[in-house]
Amino acid sequence: MMSNFDNMIIRQRKWMLYWLAILVLCAGFLPYTRILLGLILGSSVSLYNLWLLQYKSNQLGETIAAGRKARSGLGTFSRMTAAILAVVIAMRFEAYFHLYAVIFGIVSSYVIMALDFIFYQIIVYKRGEDRPL
Amino acid sequence: MGALAAAIAIGLAALGAGLGNGMIVSKTVEGIARQPELRGPLQGTMFIGVALVEAIPIIAAVIAFMVIGG
Repeated sequence: MMSNFDNMIIRQRKWMLYWLAILVLCAGFLPYTRILLGLILGSSVSLYNLWLLQYKSNQLGETIAAGRKARSGLGTFSRMTAAILAVVIAMRFEAYFHLYAVIFGIVSSYVIMALDFIFYQIIVYKRGEDRPL
Repeated sequence: MGALAAAIAIGLAALGAGLGNGMIVSKTVEGIARQPELRGPLQGTMFIGVALVEAIPIIAAVIAFMVIGG
């Protein structure tokens, strides 16, 4: 049986992929190509950041639960570097990517995470269950 | 002046995030080591806490880089 944590990370990745799919569709059909390309670039980096955080926190939990000493961190610098790389790409190819759209894209996974958490809490509350997360 | 602004921005954000992340992870490690069967909920809470704490230094790093590069 999958735990609540596994369900949560799968849900978050699913919503992130839906968001990326909507953006790709919009970039194909709408005229605001620069903004949408920026959003796609930022959201791709955001998806990588989300996956890395999920993977690293899962690994940390496994290591501690097994009673071993944790040797790897949570990957903060990798995530920062990925975000900076996206901004560098947007600044270098300014004709194709809108900088503020890239920044909004980078933040999108945090927005999705917060919304998912709030909606799930509401669903749990309505069901009358007492299960956190 | 731009370099100074970038340094202050990223330095303060990293300081705050480091303290916050340290508290979250240390308490989670303590909790899981005490009760390994509670790993799922504790991990979920840690995950959301770390993600929300880390959003700020990532944005600070981006802003610092924009100040230097732009």
